[in-house]
Amino acid sequence: MIEEPVLSLVEGIRKVVAERLEESDGVVALRRSSEGVAPHVFRKGDDLSELEIAPRYPLMTVVSKLHKAFPDIRLGIVARGCDERAFIEMAKREQIDPDRLFIIGFACTEEEAQECHCSAPAPQNLLVGTAPPPGPPNPVVEKYDEMTIDERRAFWQRQFVKCLKCYGCRNICPECFCEACAMEDAAWVEPGLLAPPFPVFHLIRAMHMASRCVACRQCELVCPAHIPLTVLYDLMRRDMETLLGYVPGTDMDAPPPLSVTLEEAPLRVAVEA
Amino acid sequence: MSENGFEPKIIGFLCRWCSYPGADLAGTSRIKYPPNMIPIRVMCSGRVSPEMVLRAFRAGADGVLVMGCHIGDCHYSSGNHRTIKRVPLLRNLLGYAGINPDRLRLAWVSAAEAPRFVKVTTEFTETVRELGPLSQEVAHQEVAHQEVRE
Repeated sequence: MIEEPVLSLVEGIRKVVAERLEESDGVVALRRSSEGVAPHVFRKGDDLSELEIAPRYPLMTVVSKLHKAFPDIRLGIVARGCDERAFIEMAKREQIDPDRLFIIGFACTEEEAQECHCSAPAPQNLLVGTAPPPGPPNPVVEKYDEMTIDERRAFWQRQFVKCLKCYGCRNICPECFCEACAMEDAAWVEPGLLAPPFPVFHLIRAMHMASRCVACRQCELVCPAHIPLTVLYDLMRRDMETLLGYVPGTDMDAPPPLSVTLEEAPLRVAVEA
Repeated sequence: MSENGFEPKIIGFLCRWCSYPGADLAGTSRIKYPPNMIPIRVMCSGRVSPEMVLRAFRAGADGVLVMGCHIGDCHYSSGNHRTIKRVPLLRNLLGYAGINPDRLRLAWVSAAEAPRFVKVTTEFTETVRELGPLSQEVAHQEVAHQEVRE
């Protein structure tokens, strides 16, 4: 009897990608070259030993661009749990065609899940690896309700004042795809100020993320000023669940609740008006 | 006027079909209400985006009042369904960022409810008067600026 060699996570993914390349025009994943790691569309005949899974990158943004540019292509993607959640929210908002994409899901490592405070560190469509235990909740979010309004203001104003207005949080975000961005509109955010004006700049983004944020943490990872944006977005995610029973990225059939009627997405909590 | 002489600035976003006529009726009926609220007529309370509310605070409003048709009476059937979901989220967000959420209020006022319009506006003006100027809260940002620069 010949024993199957034990494959590492990335080797296991390469094997599945090789099998499934046949049924698509390409598989989107990260590729290592002499210049570093970058998104790549692997096609038949490509050297799959160059396929990588780290660092974390929101590859669904690449799929969205390809789907829009090439209306007939069928793609695969190597996806983490957060990539799959991004896919679900993007497909609902017609940024990705779900009929033209299949997901090769893999589980994050336990260390990654802890680092991201991730509650779902593996996709529903898990093909490679085993799901690690969820990461612990963000300690700042955990104790946030105990903070007074003055403490909260002090906390955020010390954070927001560091902002370089590079728009990195928006640019990396898989759920930020508006062609005209309110954060660049002089009607809402007066131009020429650094740090950007409070409360408009950061709170506009936080509000726009409320029904969309899939907790991929990319905004925080790219922020050159190390602003802990996910604290704010996690709180908004918590409120979306309490108020409307909505957890972005979990259910393809649930409509975006802020864009539909009360019949389609009812309130779970009485609102005084 | 309050003891400290503070008169709050309040921006009201009033829907064109119910609340603005309600305010109009209060006027033509000669019912008094505080002059602190500056009404802005919008086509629907559902049109009031978070940008509009946040910009009002940025531009110096101490409070923002969003008024629209009662649920079921919206001229566009479900415009106010968006409002009733959006405003509580935005109130929470203000609270998380250190602005008292009571500075933002949502109220349904029909075209016939002039007394209710007056009651809501008066109550809200008193609430915001007690909270004091928003600039006191946001001024901390300038302090933080200085500290980081130094």
